Amino acid sequence: MADQLLEKVRDAFEGQIDFEGQRLAELLTTVLLGAAGIIAFIVGFFTQDIYKTLWIGLGGTALAFVAVVPPWPFYNKNSVTWLPPHNAISGLDIEVDGRKVN
Amino acid sequence: MHSTLVRAQNVFGLFTTVAFCVATAIALSVLISPQEPSASIKLRNVQVVRGRPHYYSQKKEEYAHIKFDLDADLSSLFNWNTKQVFLYITATYPSLKASEPPSQVIIWDAILPSSSAPWHENHYIHPNPKNSKTRSKTTSLSPYPAGEIHLSNQRPKYQITDMSGKLQNRTDVVLELGWNVQPWVGALTWINWQDVGAWKGLKGGKSDIFTFPETKRKDVDLGTAKGGEGNRGKPA
Repeated sequence: MADQLLEKVRDAFEGQIDFEGQRLAELLTTVLLGAAGIIAFIVGFFTQDIYKTLWIGLGGTALAFVAVVPPWPFYNKNSVTWLPPHNAISGLDIEVDGRKVN
Repeated sequence: MHSTLVRAQNVFGLFTTVAFCVATAIALSVLISPQEPSASIKLRNVQVVRGRPHYYSQKKEEYAHIKFDLDADLSSLFNWNTKQVFLYITATYPSLKASEPPSQVIIWDAILPSSSAPWHENHYIHPNPKNSKTRSKTTSLSPYPAGEIHLSNQRPKYQITDMSGKLQNRTDVVLELGWNVQPWVGALTWINWQDVGAWKGLKGGKSDIFTFPETKRKDVDLGTAKGGEGNRGKPA
C-alpha cells in the first residue's frame, strides 16, 4: 500500500511524457521563448519603454514554464505500445556443454 | 525533455540565451538613436582664497571658487535605454612643468535621471528659474524636461586646489562639460566631441580661457553649495 502510494507520488514528480510529447515540448519551448524575446524587444523599442521589454520577456518566460514543465495530458496522447509480455523461459532452448538447461 | 526536471532545465537554459540576445539587441539599438547635444558654459566669477584642507591642518592651501552659467540641451542623450546621465564640469589648466599632463578637476556634478529611473535621493533637482511664478519648494520635479539645464551664476559643488597647493595666477584655465551616459543594459558612454555615426559631437561645452586671480582675504565666504546639494555623496 505504502509502496503504491510512493510510486504514484514519484510518477507525478517525475512527470514523464511520451516521445511525441517530448518533441512538442521542445518545439513549444523554442517558439514561446523566441517569440517572447522578439515581441518584447519590438514593443519596447517602438514605445521607447524598456519596462515593457522587461515585463513582456518575463511574462513570456513564465508562460513557457507553465506550458512546458508540468506533464500536461496533451503530452501523453501517443503512449508507446509495448510488445505483449510472454514467459521467456518456457520458449527457450538453452544448451550448455551439450546438455539442456532449464 | 522526458521528465519535469529536464524540461525545467531546458526552458530556463533557453531563457538565459534569449535574455542575453534581447539585452544585446537593446544595447546595440542605442547606436541608431540620434544624439545632438549642445551646451554653453560661461565663467561668472572666480576667486582664489587661502584655507586649510581640514580644521586641524597646519598647512594652508589655495582654493579656487568658480561660479558659472550653464545652458545645456542634453535631452537627446535620453533614449529608451538610458537610466541616468552623470554630468560634470571640469576646470582644466596646464601643469607647472610642461612635460606633465594638464590638471583636470571637477567643480560641479549632477546625476540626471531619466523618466524610467526610480526615485533616488541623489538625483539632481533642477532649481526653479528665478522669474517663474510657480515657485514651490516642495516639488521634486525638474521644471525642464530631462537633460535640459539652465543654471545662472551657479555655485560650484567643490572648491578645488592643486597638488602644489598653489593656484593663484595660473593661466589658460578652461571649463569643460563632461558626461557619462549610464544605460539600463549595455556600455557606458562618455562625452564625444566628434561625430560618430548617428551621434553628433557636443556643440559648445567649453568656456573661454581665463586665469585664476590673486588670492583674496581668507575671511571671504566661499559660498560653496550647501545643504542637501553640498552634502550629496557624503555619508549621513
